[in-house]
Parts: sequence; C-alpha cells; structure tokens
Amino acid sequence: MSIWIAPLVVGGIGAVLALTIAIIDAIVNNYGEVEIDINQGKKKLQAKGGASLLSTLSEHGMFIPSACGGRGSCGACKIGVLSDIGPILPTEYPLLSPQERQDGIRLSCQIKLKASIEIQIPEELFIARPYLGVIDSLKDVTHDIKEVRIALEKPDSIEYQAGQYVQLVIPPYRKIPESTQRAYSMSSTPSQPNTVELLIRKVPNGIATTYVHELLKEGQSIELIGPFGDFYVRDNEADMICVAGGSGMAPIKSILMDLFEKGEQTRHIWYFFGARSKRDLFYLDLFSSLEERWPIFHFIPALSDPLPEDEWKDETGLITDVLDEYLRNRVDPEHTKEGYLCGSPGMVNACVQVMKKNGIPEDRIYYDKFA
Amino acid sequence: MKMTPELQMAQENMLPGKISGQGFLGDDHRPLIDIITEDEERLAKSGKSFDELFQRMEYFMIHGRKGLGEPIVVDNEWEVWVDEARGKMVCPFQDGIYAKINARVCKISTKDCITYSELALHLIHKHHFFQGNPSSYRLNPEELVRILF
Repeated sequence: MSIWIAPLVVGGIGAVLALTIAIIDAIVNNYGEVEIDINQGKKKLQAKGGASLLSTLSEHGMFIPSACGGRGSCGACKIGVLSDIGPILPTEYPLLSPQERQDGIRLSCQIKLKASIEIQIPEELFIARPYLGVIDSLKDVTHDIKEVRIALEKPDSIEYQAGQYVQLVIPPYRKIPESTQRAYSMSSTPSQPNTVELLIRKVPNGIATTYVHELLKEGQSIELIGPFGDFYVRDNEADMICVAGGSGMAPIKSILMDLFEKGEQTRHIWYFFGARSKRDLFYLDLFSSLEERWPIFHFIPALSDPLPEDEWKDETGLITDVLDEYLRNRVDPEHTKEGYLCGSPGMVNACVQVMKKNGIPEDRIYYDKFA
Repeated sequence: MKMTPELQMAQENMLPGKISGQGFLGDDHRPLIDIITEDEERLAKSGKSFDELFQRMEYFMIHGRKGLGEPIVVDNEWEVWVDEARGKMVCPFQDGIYAKINARVCKISTKDCITYSELALHLIHKHHFFQGNPSSYRLNPEELVRILF
C-alpha cells in the first residue's frame, strides 16, 4: 500500500498545479467580449477577446488577405488601426514602411484582441468570402503556365471587378504540414460568375505552384477566398497602355475581355505582351482575333530572344524597349493615357519608368506586381 | 562543437510551419552546428571561399533581374531566370527579412541547373548554412561551385 503513496501525492500536486494554472489562465487571459468597429461604424462585430485580429475577423466572415497563414512573414494582412493598441511589435516592424508606421498601419495577424478596437480596411473586403469549387479543366498554355478553370459550387457564383485576384487555398501535401494560401489574379470575366479562371506559372520549389502543376487534378475540390485587389479599369476616356509578361496576362485578359463585352468604343487600348521565345507566348489567336473584331484594340506581342525556328517577324526586344518605341512614335501623342501593368516587380518598375519618361503621370499608372 | 543559444533558436525557427511551410531542415535531424561545420569543410574542399561564392550568386541574381521576369543569357554560358513571388521570408536567425526572389541558374553547356532565393544567399553568406541535407531547398556546396563558376 505504501508504494502508492508517493505517486498519488505527486499526481495530486500535479493536478492541483494544473488546475491552478488553468484558473489563472482563464482569469488573466480572459479578455471577455470585445467590439471591433470597422470603418467608423460601417460594420460592428462582437467577438471573444484573446485571439488574433486576423483570425477573429475570419471567424466572423471578414477575410483579410494573408499568404503566410498568420505567421507574420508575408506582410499581406495590413490594416489601419484607429485605437491605441500599444507600440508596433518587433515582428511587425520590418514589414511596415516608415509612412505606414506613421499612419497607424498594423499587421492584423500580430494584433491580439485584448479590448475593443477601431479599424480601417478597404471597403472591397466586405464582400470577400470563401468559395468551394471543383477543378473543371487544367490546360498547359505554355511549357510552364497552366490555365486552371474552377467551377464554383458553394456559393456557385462570385461578383468581382475585372483585374481583381483571389487567394487559392493549397491543402497540406507531401511534407507541407499545413494549408497555404497564394494570391492569383482571375483571368476570367465577371460576366461568367460561375467560373474562376487562373493562370499559374510554375515557380521552382514553389509550394503552391508545385501543387498545382504536379498534383492538382480535374474533378478535385478546391477552396479559394476573394475577391481582393484594387487593380481594375478606371472609368474615363484615356487611352489604355497595358503591359504584361508571363502569367501577368491574367488580369489584363480579364480587363480586356470585360471591356470588349461591355462594348467599349471610345478609348484606344494597346496591349504589349512580352515573352522570351515563341514557346512562352499564349492566347495569340484569341487576341489576334479580338484585334480584328475590335478596331480600338491593338495587340503587340514581343519576343526578347526568339529562336531561329520561331521564324518570328513581329516585334523583337525587351518589352520596355518596344513600349518606348511605340509611345514615342506610334501611339497618338495628343490622347491622354493611362498605364495598366502586370508582371514581375522588375518588369513593372522598368515599364513605369518608360511610361513616365513618355509623359504618363505616375498617379495614372496602375499595376499588380504579382501575377 | 557547442550549440549556442542563437543556434538553438535558429534551429527551432527552421522547423516546418515556423517560418516556412516546409522548414529549412528536411529530414536532417543533426544539431545545426554539425550541419554548418560539415558544409564549411565541403566548400573549402571545393576551392572557393564564402565571399567568392556569395559574390557569384549575387552576380547572377543581379544580372538575371535584367530579364524582367523572363530567362536571360549571362556571359554566353549561363541561362538565368529571376522570378519574384508575393510576400517576404524572415531569416531563421532573426537578423533580416527578404523578398521571395528566386534565381534559377542553368549552365548551358551541361544543362545543370540550381535554384536559390535571396534568403538562401544571405543564409550562406552570413550563417554558412546551405539548409538541411536532404531538404527541398538544400544547396550542395560542390554543386553550387560546379554550376556557378
């Protein structure tokens, strides 16, 4: 009997300690009910305190874009905070610019809800929500870009502006232990709200693109969240100078097809699409055919390094050089112009410089640096 | 050799799900100091210093950017594609934050290719860390020297 006494005493002490910790935790970390005031009263949420603002908003159907799952590494979940919630955390600091720090911008994944809070977010986020769909088709449009068409099921339609993006939810696979989200622009048009089309270029070792290129199958279920983004057409009469490279084609395709469907006839639209060689070009037939049917539309594909077998007779050179030549000599200098760019940050930055040099004001150049 | 508190913290940050989904160590369960020490010896045997390797990797990263997101030929011998993805990566040693920029460098004559990120460049130069062996993002010192020089 005596051999049971010591384990029973130790077990009893352990149980008391665990109970004490649980009680203290419940008292200290019980922040009770808090109110989240969004955009100065436009929406108010009552929520249980203690969790991160990002996850709490998500539980209440408000989806802030995030690519790292709340680990504080992507910097995508920025919001404006009007309340005093204490100093910027070391985990937030490197991801905020000096101007953002001054303007009260914070990372919603790093804010622990301890009291009621007033926040400011883009109004467009009010309509972002999760969608469940099925892969309707998967098509290789080049050797490294896939066209992914998703038929939406729950809910079965999405409302968005041409040029916006969604976050594709990649489930855990192989050695990836948890789901990951990545942003992709929609290449489909808002007139077909039951389908979302994405163009996804394979990135070596990329978590999401490896999954899409190697494992995703037709008929498979997939989740996405959206729509997000402020890359869309400004409604005016300025000529549009659109430039894209690679999968940067996606939002530009959506924008152009949407304008065509709506019968745009007043502003001239120039579309410069850059690729390395012919095997990197796609949708040539689509845009050549569009050019024939739509007099205000001008399609200029350009190859930076065409192969001899390409027998390429159209524009050759870096897309920035081709753009510069057209802006100086071929696009009507009398017309007001706006820039719409999508591609790698390097390409976008270089094109912005060319456009500014040719008289397009920087505040009229719109871009999405990540296709 | 001894694992300092900094190395212990870095090794914890390298686990899957901490900073990146896959982590930095793969199936390599050795202490971080052992992984680093072995790779320092392997690089020394291949005849290049860390500074030389860093400068070469940075050279291709800088020149590859001139391709504006498309592959570009550098010095007639290498094809380099520099691509950027949305977001940033924190260094597991907690001394910097890096854009998700990848350079894929292929030696045209042998068709051997290697891919490294801006963070990997920093990890090798500053911390002598080529990532766990084996792991998805592992860069073998000998392979880097063979392809990049």
